[in-house]
This record gives sequence, structure tokens and C-alpha cells, in this order.
Amino acid sequence: MTTVVTKKKHTGKKLTVGHVIGTIFKYAFLLALTVIALIPFVWMISSSLKTSVDVFSIPMKWIPETFHWENYTQIWEKVPLLAYFKNTAILAVIVTFMQILTSSFAAYAFAKMNFRGRDLLFMCYIGTIAVPWQVYMVPQFIMMRSIGLYDTIWALVALQSFSAFGVFLMRQFYMGIPNDLSEAARIDGLSEYGIWARIVLPLSKPAIATLCIFTFVNTWNDYMGPMIYLTTDIRKTIQVGLRRFIQAYSADYNLIMAASLCSLLPVTIVFLFLQRYFIEGIATTGMKG
Amino acid sequence: MTKSVGKRKMGKLERRNTLIAYSFLAPNFIGFVVFTLIPVLFSIVLAFMNWSGGSNITWAGLDNFKLIFKDFSFTKSNLGIALKNTVYYTVATVPITIACALGLALVLNKAVKGAKFFRAVFFFPYVASLVAICVCWNFLLMKTGPVNQVLSFFGINITKSWTSSRDLAIWAIIIVSVWRNAGYYMVMYLAGLQGVPAELYEAATMDGANGWQKFTKVTLPMLTPTTFFVSIMLVISCFKIYDVVAIMTQGGPGRSTKMLVTYIFELSFGGEGIATSAQYGVASAVSMVLLAIVLLVTYIQFRGEKKWVNYM
Amino acid sequence: MKKLVAGLLAAMMVATMAPAMAETTLKVAGWDISSTPYYTAIKEGYEAANPDVTIEWVDLASQDYNVKASTMLSGGDTTDLYCVKELSDMQNWAKEGLIVSMDEYIKADGTDMTKYAGMDSCYVGLTDGQQYALPFRADYWVMFYNKDLFDQAGMDYPTNDWTWDEYAQMARDIHEKTGAYGTHYHTWLSCVANWSVCDGVNTLADGEYSDLKYFYNLYQSLEDEGVCMSYDELKASGLHYSGAFAQGNIAMMPMGYWYASTLIGYIKDGTASMNWGIVAVPHQEGVAAGSSFGSPTGIAISNASANKDEAWKFAAWMCSEEGAKAIAATGTRPAYVSEAVATVLAAADGFPTDENSKAALLPTSIALEWPIGEGVNEIKTIVNEEHTLIMTRELTVDEGIAEMEERAAEYVKK
Repeated sequence: MTTVVTKKKHTGKKLTVGHVIGTIFKYAFLLALTVIALIPFVWMISSSLKTSVDVFSIPMKWIPETFHWENYTQIWEKVPLLAYFKNTAILAVIVTFMQILTSSFAAYAFAKMNFRGRDLLFMCYIGTIAVPWQVYMVPQFIMMRSIGLYDTIWALVALQSFSAFGVFLMRQFYMGIPNDLSEAARIDGLSEYGIWARIVLPLSKPAIATLCIFTFVNTWNDYMGPMIYLTTDIRKTIQVGLRRFIQAYSADYNLIMAASLCSLLPVTIVFLFLQRYFIEGIATTGMKG
Repeated sequence: MTKSVGKRKMGKLERRNTLIAYSFLAPNFIGFVVFTLIPVLFSIVLAFMNWSGGSNITWAGLDNFKLIFKDFSFTKSNLGIALKNTVYYTVATVPITIACALGLALVLNKAVKGAKFFRAVFFFPYVASLVAICVCWNFLLMKTGPVNQVLSFFGINITKSWTSSRDLAIWAIIIVSVWRNAGYYMVMYLAGLQGVPAELYEAATMDGANGWQKFTKVTLPMLTPTTFFVSIMLVISCFKIYDVVAIMTQGGPGRSTKMLVTYIFELSFGGEGIATSAQYGVASAVSMVLLAIVLLVTYIQFRGEKKWVNYM
Repeated sequence: MKKLVAGLLAAMMVATMAPAMAETTLKVAGWDISSTPYYTAIKEGYEAANPDVTIEWVDLASQDYNVKASTMLSGGDTTDLYCVKELSDMQNWAKEGLIVSMDEYIKADGTDMTKYAGMDSCYVGLTDGQQYALPFRADYWVMFYNKDLFDQAGMDYPTNDWTWDEYAQMARDIHEKTGAYGTHYHTWLSCVANWSVCDGVNTLADGEYSDLKYFYNLYQSLEDEGVCMSYDELKASGLHYSGAFAQGNIAMMPMGYWYASTLIGYIKDGTASMNWGIVAVPHQEGVAAGSSFGSPTGIAISNASANKDEAWKFAAWMCSEEGAKAIAATGTRPAYVSEAVATVLAAADGFPTDENSKAALLPTSIALEWPIGEGVNEIKTIVNEEHTLIMTRELTVDEGIAEMEERAAEYVKK
């Protein structure tokens, strides 16, 4: 109800029946979607507190008869989850940092500068996104090994830091920044680097936040890369660890769910921390007025 | 005289400009070329080679392509079926995902109470470990699972698990994909919405536009750069669908959910109940088909970019 | 473009030439190392006999073993030996020269190849007829049964000489008397329909599948009667056979011998509590009792190994009677067959003590689950795809088998 009131104040319109119904519908819609989005998680939580035998009992019980909290302590004893967490966190932070730095740099050239071969180069970037990794995995592995990047975290840093995805994403956001701004700055004598650092970069906070989240999540959840490139157990990442866990305890879906839920936590925190930047964005800087 | 001087100056300026542009590109581009572009180019060459991972590489010409196009049909040959399934999946998934993502972003961009909470909730599915959520959905879509129970309440009786039916299995994949990706693209749309200046809405209000008009005349056009990006990324990622299929249906039952990348993976590394083939050349040939389709679609989108994408 | 290819080729060649190692540490790739006890037993046994050698197991994820191992071999990784999980992998490795022929070594050492009961034949390279791997483990299919449920129903335990009809009747009776599942079929083709290959004449690559009909019909009638869990639900829930049988409400389960050590482990750690036994799988009319099928697990030497001679010594030991005893002591069945090894197996802690279970350790004959040869990969894919259609009842048994035959015809060797 309060939102209706504030909305009324905002638009200066009268509080009408239509508005109330609209608001009710909006929340009903959101709640319905929330249920759909969360049902699998409810099932995961409920399964993680059952015994492995009860997980698939039919008819299913949403609330376990007895709560087996010990599942959550057991998973830490069965595999070195903590080490996996640490490795993945280090990897995700390095990759995210590199990705943002190099992508925002390259995207500036694609979006705001004219140079020969620009469109061709850009199509090269897009083209590689379209090739499934499974196809060039073996040639890539041979190359990486021959330059000594194997079974170290740096192999994955090299692999994931220069993605075409990041460049494309940043380019799209930069394209949305009016050229008048950069033109004006050029006339004021600012160099291209200056324009990038002082104008474009500050304006692209939402884009950076977005890329940051996507890169972090993708690195966190990547399975095939670490599976191929990491062999030593203590260097492995959380998804490989999780998969190993699933194979070793293939019948214990309760433990699998508990471990999966734990692996969710760090990413959720990153998301919650970054999401305010989606809202404080270039909208407030009012570029055309 | 003056003309040629002008030209030379232009050339100099252009060269300088190009140099600066390349300095911007370099950090990303070098890594990109070494770690991605070269292996990709190599895989393109591989499509015309016989290679099984050893030191023998022999020229195959068009043999790999002849092999995959042999007896081509959408109901019998592996390539035809994989192509049909992938296109079906893409055509269904892309519009639904965009509609859901845009809808969520529009609702959550406004002053909704608990917007932060809802945003996190809808992004959650993307973050969760894929194996865990696929296990979940397999269970939800089981013969006697909650989804079929709810449907039977509405008079729709499904007597099978979704993943055990040739007609429904692909929809199980579509549902999970949309469910998982809607929140992901919602985040992109949310970021895109921040780029729409409030002044435009104010101006529209002054002109007496209603909510729907504002949406079609202001929001949608201003979001076209985001939509452009989202649609390209979505089309590409749909054409490359692999992991959800691998975990939920392994391409089955029969070949009803065999996708292009599933087929590529089988040719290179085998699959469940399928022996390794190590036919990297043939796998590359299939991926060239995939690449050709995706590049064509992307090219059409880029051709249209200037017509419908509205950069300020 | 040409330069690029040349560069890559050069890089590959450099990569395949592994640097020489000063110490003899042998790196051996296997899967599920930490959860499979015999790897440690082999390491300890060999290091005790050869103090100057250290064995280092490289643990690759089981599900992706072939992807990772093939990538490592192609990339010239310095791992010395690789366990062979899929026969067709090994054939490709041999063809590509990624693993070493063992013929010279076998001749020099005079290795007795008859002890592997034919399980070594599939490691002969298709193209050159040389031996590329030795089997150290050979799992064949047996019937696991829950003695408690048979006792509860007041029925006699199955014996090593029984037919599929008798088996089906037993499953129905026990279901009727106890309400438990009479039998359990995991989702694999091998659990349901492979049984006709036990006679050693039929194979799954012959393009003729009418012999599977009996088994599919048997399965479907048991499923309809509720005697076993439905494929549909098993597949959707992803219920693993190991947990299913351990729950104690399943009377019989045809499964590979490897399950014995899992079950022993479950009983030790309290996950399961039951009395169980094994017998030979039932036979068809006209096939000798105790016939089964199975597949070996082998060990191959990487061409990139810097210590090929040492690697051979290790491989030979692993597949010798000594190594077999070490493996058998952990409850796993080695490929090397002898009375002495069978005795060790039967004496394994937790193994059932009845005579029938012991007798089941020496099967009459073991046929290969899948033969090797050109086109077998394709046929395997086809048969497995049609299998899922029959099991989900998207096709009737007859339709499914007709499709198998129609699609496989192209690849069957004439």
C-alpha cells in the first residue's frame, strides 16, 4: 500500500482503483514467479536435510521427518571442500579483474574509435564465440601444454581472461554513451586514454557491475576448463570437487545437495554486493539534457 | 597540391588513430589471439583433415563433410536430427527467455518493495550448480512429480516423466534453460534500463503518453542495444546448448534431444554408453556447420543493426 | 594459415618429446583413486617389492576419464601409464601411436598370456595385431541377492545353475510374498538385454537383435507387474543402483562383480545391513550354466613416458599373480585367474561364506560385452539409443528392434 501512496505522490495522480488492482497483480505475479524460481531450491534444502534413502521417497515430503544437520558437517570431512573454495575464489577474482580491465579497454576502441579493420576484427571476436569449445579444446590443450601452462591456476587465468564475451558486452554499453560527450572532450583536448578513464569508464558502472557478476559466476561455475587443465587434487576448483563428490557418493543426493548449496553462498554474496550498481548508473548523470 | 597534402595528413591522422586504437585493443587482443583465435583457426583447418589426436594428420579434403551429409534427412541422419532439434530448441527458447527477462527487468526496475530481494531470487537459478538443479528438475518433471500433479489438476494428464517422452523431453530442456537464463538476461536488461534518461519519460508524460505508449515509444527503442546484444548472445548460446542436455537426457530418449554440440561431443569423446570416437576432423566439420549457421544469423542481425538498433 | 598449422604441428612434436626424469617415479592415471582401495594395494605391493620405484596415481574424474586421458595423451603429458577404461579409446590410442606396443616386452619376459582367460584379446591392436595393453581387472556379471528377503519369503536361495524363466518366477514369488521388489534393473543396456551374448556366439555388433526380444519382454512384464522399479522413474530420479540395492528392499540384482566391494564397504560403514550372496547369472536354454559376459580393465604405457622399461615392469607386475592377489585382497576381481587368486577373493573380509558364492567366482566362460572392430562404435551408439526408446516405451519391443537392425545394417561388417 505504501508504494501506491508514494507512487501517487510521484505522478501527482489520484489513487484510483485501477492502481490498487495493478499493484496487487504486480505483487501476485512476482510472488508466483518467486515460487517458480525458488521451488527447486526448496527441494534442494529439504533434500540436503534428509537421509540419502529418503530423498527420492514417493510421495515426496517437502519437510523432512527428522532434520539431518550433520550432512552439512559431513561434507567438509569427506572432501577438501575448503581448499576447493579457496582455489576457486582466487581464480575468480583474478579472472574477473583481468577481464574487466582488458575488455573495457578493447571495447572502447570498438565502440568509440574509427580504424581500419575494425568491423572485421569485431566479427572475429563474435565468430569465436560461436565455435563450441569442445571443438578446439584439444588443439588448445596441446598449445597450452607446449608453453608450460598446465596443471596451474594460470592456465585457467589465460583461458578465461580474454573472452570475446566481455568485449562484446562492454562495447554494447559504450555504444549507448552519446558520442557528443567524447567529441566534446576531444575538442577540450583530452586524449583518447583520458576520455576512456575520465568519461567512459565512470559512466559504465552498471556495465562493469554486470560483467563483474557474469565473469565471477561463470568462473565459479566452470567445470570443463578446470577438469581438463587441473590434475593435482589440491589445485582443483569447487565445480570439479563437486562433480568428484557426486561421483564418489553418487547415491547420497542429500550430501550432494548440501555441498551444492554451500557452493552457492559466495556467488550470492557477490551478487548482493554488486547489485546496487545496476541502479546507480548513467541514468542519473543525465547525458542529453 | 593542397588536395594531396590533405590526403597525406588524413593518412597520418588515420594511422595515428589506428595506432591508438590498437593500443586499446592490445591487452585483450594478444591474449585472445593466442589462447582462442589460433586454436579456433586450427579447428577450422581440422575440418578438412583426418586427425585422432596423434601425430598423424592427413588431408581429407571434403570427406568429413561428405560423411556428415551422407543420406541427409531431418528424421534419419544424425546431423539432420541434431540440426532440427537445435533449431527447434533455439526458436522456442530465445523469444521466451527475452520476454521473461525483459518483463522481470521492467517490473524490478521500478520502485517495487523488495526489489533487491526479488532481483537476487531471479538471478539465483543462474548461479546454482547445474548438476544440482538438473537433478531437481528431473525430479520435478517426473511421472508422479509436482509438475504433472499440478497439470492434472488443470485436466492435463501426462503419464510419463517428461524426460522419458520423445515429445516432451526437449521441452524439459527448454523449461530448464529459460528458468535458468531469464534472471541472467534480466540483469543485462536492468543495466540497460539505467541508460534510459528519465527526461525522455518526462517528455512523453507531458505529451500525454500512457504507460503502453511510453513502453513502446521510449523504453523499447532505448533498450535496442541491449536487446541486440542479448539476442545475439542467446542465439549463439542456444545453438551451443550442451550441458543441460548432457545431464538431463544425454540426448535421449532415442535421438529426440540430440543437439549439434551433443553430436560434436560424441564424435570427439563419446558419451554415456557410447564409445570414444576421437574423430576430431568430423567433429570439426559438424562445428563448421554450426559456425556457418550462427555466423549467418549474426550477420543478418548485424546488417539490421543500423536499422533497428538505436544508439544515441 | 599454413604457417599456423605448421607452428601447431611443431608445438605438438615438442610436446610429445617428454623431458627425461632423474628419479624413477611412475605416474599412473586411473579413476576414482581415492574411493577405490585396490589402487593403494597395488602401489604398496609394488613399492614393497621395488623400493627404488615410487608409484604416483593420477586421479582423473571417472565420468570424464576418456575425455581427459585422451586429451593428456594427445598433449604429450608425461604420465607414464594409463588405465584403459574404454576399449575403443585404447584402439585409437594404439592406432595413433600414443601408447606403446608390448610385444617385445612380452616376448622377452615370457609372459603367460593364457592366464587372462581370453580377456587380453581385446587389447590387440586392430591395425597391426600387436598387444597394446594387459588386463589387470576383469569384471563379469553376476546376480547379487538379498538372503534376508529370501528367508522372509521362506524360499530357497538361487543356485549357480538356473534359467531366466526360473529367475523371473522367483522374482514374482518374492514380490508377492514380501512386497519387496523381486529384482532390480539398472538403466543400462547391459543390465536388461545383453544376456544373449553369454553364449559367446551372439554379439551385439552382428546386426541381428531378435535375440534381445525375450529379455525386453521379460523386463516389461516384470515392470508392469510392479516386480521391479520402472525405468522411467529410475532415469528421472537418477537413483543409483548401489544405493537402491543397499536399501534392502530389492531381492535380486544382476550387476557387475565390482559391486561386491562397494557392498562390502557399505556394510562395514553401516550404510547397509543385510546378508547377501552372489550366484552366476541365469542362463538360456542350451547355454552352459555359469556363462557370463564382462569387460576387462587394462593398463597401457604412454609413448611419452620417459621410463618405458620401468613402466613395463610395473604393468607386468600389476597383471601378474602377485599383483592379482593384491587386487583380490581388496575384493576386486583381477583378470589373472587361478585357484590361488580365487581363494584370496573368497577370503576377502566381508565376502559371503556360502559355497555357491565361492563357486560363482570361477565362471564357466566369460564373453566380451562388446567385440572390437570397425563400426562397433557406431553400432553401440545406435543400440543404446534404441534401447532408451524401448525402455521408455516410446517404441514397442518389435519396433525398437526393427529400428536397431535397420540403422545398424550400414555398419555391420559383411
